[in-house]
Amino acid sequence: MAKVIMTVDDSTSIRQMVSFTLNQVGYDVVEAVDGRDAVDKLAGTHIDMLLTDLNMPNKNGLELIEWIRSMPKFKFIPIIMLTTESETEMKQKGKAAGATGWIVKPFKPEQLLAVVKKVLR
Amino acid sequence: MDESGRFIEEFCLEAEELLSGVEDAVLDIEENPGDQEAVNRLFRAMHTIKGSGAMFGFDAVSEFTHHVETVLDNVRNGTVPVSKTLIDLILMSRDRITAMLAEANGGGPPLDSQEGEEIVASLKALLYSDDTEPPVEKSSKEAPEENFVPVTPAPENEVVYRIRLSPDLDIFSTGMDPVMLLYDLADMGECCVVAQTEKVPDLENLSPESCYFSWDIILPTTKSVNAIRDVFIFVEDDCEIVIETVEEKGIASQEVSAPRLGDILVERGDIERKILDEEFDTHKKIGERLVESGALSKEKLKSALTEQTIVSKMHKSSVASTVRVPSDRLDKLINLVGELVITQARLTQVASTREDTELGESVEEIERLTGELRDSVLNIRMMPIGTIFNKFRRLVRDMSSQLNKEIELVTQGAETELDKTVLERLDDPLVHLIRNSLDHGVEPPEVREQRGKSQKGTIVLSAGHKGTNVVITIQDDGAGLNVEAIRQKAVEGGLISEHAELSDKKIFSQIFAPGFSTVRNVTSVSGRGVGMDVVKRTIDSLRGRIDIDSVPGEWTKVTLILPLTLAIINGLLVRIEDDFFVLPLMSVEECVEIKSKEVEMINGRNILNVRGDMVPYIRLRDRFHMGNRRPEREHVVITDVNNSRIGFVVDHVIGGHQTVIKPLGPAFKDIKNVSGATILGDGTVALILDTSVLLESA
Amino acid sequence: MDVQGITQTSQYLTFKLDKEIYAMDITTVREVLDIIQITKVPQMPDFMRGVINLRGRVVPVVDLRLKFGMEKATFLKEACIVIIEVFLDGEETILGILVDAVQEVISLEPEQIDPPPRIGTRLKTEFIKGMGKKDQEFIIILETTKVFSAEELAIVQTADDMPIPEI
Repeated sequence: MAKVIMTVDDSTSIRQMVSFTLNQVGYDVVEAVDGRDAVDKLAGTHIDMLLTDLNMPNKNGLELIEWIRSMPKFKFIPIIMLTTESETEMKQKGKAAGATGWIVKPFKPEQLLAVVKKVLR
Repeated sequence: MDESGRFIEEFCLEAEELLSGVEDAVLDIEENPGDQEAVNRLFRAMHTIKGSGAMFGFDAVSEFTHHVETVLDNVRNGTVPVSKTLIDLILMSRDRITAMLAEANGGGPPLDSQEGEEIVASLKALLYSDDTEPPVEKSSKEAPEENFVPVTPAPENEVVYRIRLSPDLDIFSTGMDPVMLLYDLADMGECCVVAQTEKVPDLENLSPESCYFSWDIILPTTKSVNAIRDVFIFVEDDCEIVIETVEEKGIASQEVSAPRLGDILVERGDIERKILDEEFDTHKKIGERLVESGALSKEKLKSALTEQTIVSKMHKSSVASTVRVPSDRLDKLINLVGELVITQARLTQVASTREDTELGESVEEIERLTGELRDSVLNIRMMPIGTIFNKFRRLVRDMSSQLNKEIELVTQGAETELDKTVLERLDDPLVHLIRNSLDHGVEPPEVREQRGKSQKGTIVLSAGHKGTNVVITIQDDGAGLNVEAIRQKAVEGGLISEHAELSDKKIFSQIFAPGFSTVRNVTSVSGRGVGMDVVKRTIDSLRGRIDIDSVPGEWTKVTLILPLTLAIINGLLVRIEDDFFVLPLMSVEECVEIKSKEVEMINGRNILNVRGDMVPYIRLRDRFHMGNRRPEREHVVITDVNNSRIGFVVDHVIGGHQTVIKPLGPAFKDIKNVSGATILGDGTVALILDTSVLLESA
Repeated sequence: MDVQGITQTSQYLTFKLDKEIYAMDITTVREVLDIIQITKVPQMPDFMRGVINLRGRVVPVVDLRLKFGMEKATFLKEACIVIIEVFLDGEETILGILVDAVQEVISLEPEQIDPPPRIGTRLKTEFIKGMGKKDQEFIIILETTKVFSAEELAIVQTADDMPIPEI
């Protein structure tokens, strides 16, 4: 069975690009437009990994990460945050919230795949 | 590309939506400046356009939008108030972005960049409108962080690393499964992983959410150490990681015997040398005994044994292809082959006078085999020059940081092979020459910039074969040589006359003249002279040549030409009276026959007119006090010694002669003009002359 | 009488130089050759006659007459080259000695050897290990380590008065 990755981003174009790229290599992708949408969609679904933007309306990325880590189901899944900030502050906050790693925007599809490979096989 | 085209389309649609949303939000704010939510919407719109724009190639849009985003961020946190100016600017920006997108897609008119700049300036002005400190502006010029890039350049050698990975107890809660790290390492080479389970508690105390393992990984790989570190990029704060080099399987396979387990354990810090030594008194296998005595854990032993296996395997694979031979046995073999060659030459000669086809055929076959044998044997001692190149890289790196200069060493032709004995003696001169380039050649970054050069200087070290010689060049793109200063110094030292008209190249070669470096210089030649005569002497003793050329301000190049091997000489056999001599062919340019009367004496010097060129000469007969008889016809062998042409007068030139060099032995260790002897086909000893010494000695 | 360093009966090779008989400890002697072509090496002191080809090895030849200040020999039918082992600068090497004639190998007991005379010989005292006596004849036993030391063989090249050609 294919692994499922959830991608959360308020930018349609980015969600599309991520979905496309991950689909190409065999992952199933669930899209959500913001934090709240993600929570809703997670109610009945199993995912193997979360890819989330940080700056979103309706429950931003950090809050989402904290929430998802509080769920026993998702306590140990890999979480990668998409960030435009290259400052350590954001990365630290993310790690403190429970993120596994990060990828900096803008990124190319190959870079996305390389990062995913680091945490999910 | 199809996909990227789709994404671009999608982005433009998205941007359009967002931008019309901007309009709405602006209107909301106009009515109600305290509408925080609207401000957030504005911010996010700009943020998204900035981020996604960069993703899909709209760099100009992204950059511009960044400024708007910054302002809105400051409005968000209250640093910048909502004002009419702000609103106008936002609307102007919105229009500008729309226009930029249209232009980028080919559907809009070309834009005036000044307009854009003005908007940005005004935006920035908003940020500094207070007397308080300018609010935080996140510079868009910040170097974008490199995302993890999976490709790193591979070093030439395979290196064995020992990696110790000890994750924190609660690593699982970061979402990282350490096994992922092991997979990544496994992708880089055939690694062996040994888990260390000592910390695993009893079942009742075991928490399934904690990680009690650590791992020792032995990884032979061609990937760089940085590529290995990249594997752990996300877990640097959550793991203890130690990466050490165990073995380097370089071009020069070191003659190191397979590592002993005890040594490995001590090196890793698993066991103290003292305990190891104590255990050695009994006869059991050291590893077992250490475990039994409780000094070592089973896992640590297993890990060390794994390391030992891998390293020995690596040795075996390189050892299998090499055999250690004492040098003197090789010398003996080379000698014998040399003699064989000589005798075979004589055999060929004798056979040619007989009219015996059967004999002739066999002799021809022997000639062929002998030639092959000689080439194979000489090859035995050949080693690639890359073996010493590596250490120069280190030298350049260390010294350039010491000198606060930026210098890169580029090497070419590392696979070029030469005789081991030549290679060993080349080490010092090359170090010296490279240090010269580092010290005096390449200028400091500031100076280079002033001169319009790149801040980083380059030293190119290259090697290649040319005929039966090896040519090695060291070239730097530094300050070049100061012709005038060198000339001055040479004049002061009495090496050349004040009025001599010499080419630049000839002046440069004065650097190698003995006594040059000892001249106390009034004008500074920035130390280049020091030690150069030692370099020259070494190169001379290797029967090589050294040349230096330069374009002041641009580059300096030192060229070394060396024979492939010291054992054999390519020489020109000549005769004076009844004695035979050999002149090194490397320096010989041509041979001219002269009648004794044709020789001119100009200004009391012996000069010969060779096709209009004035060539001074030395009559070896006189130099060697061999009698006053002057044969009617003599021959002049014209050579190029240290960039000067000079002729040696002999009775006869017999021909090219390649043969093994016989040392004269310690009895002649101080002798000057003769560098060795060789044995001719009929057993006669011929002396090999040292042309540069002959020229210099007065 | 006792001579320092000679404590047992040893064998010596005797040879002739200008009517006198000399000897060397047999252990230093490798072989004896009939005279062969010597290739002269230019600008050497005259006692360094040159080099010979000994089965592929280039060996220097010392004219012992000239070394000891005697007259150079004109062609002697029985002239030989004695190949001996010496240490030069800590390196073991071989050397050829040109002598008038080689005689025989004899045994001498310590009692048959007297210490070298202080005066009366043309050789430096240190060159002589002892004076042997056999059949009424005196034999000058050479101390080869001193005669053929690096200092003694030091090649002082003859100064050359040829000018360096200059362009």
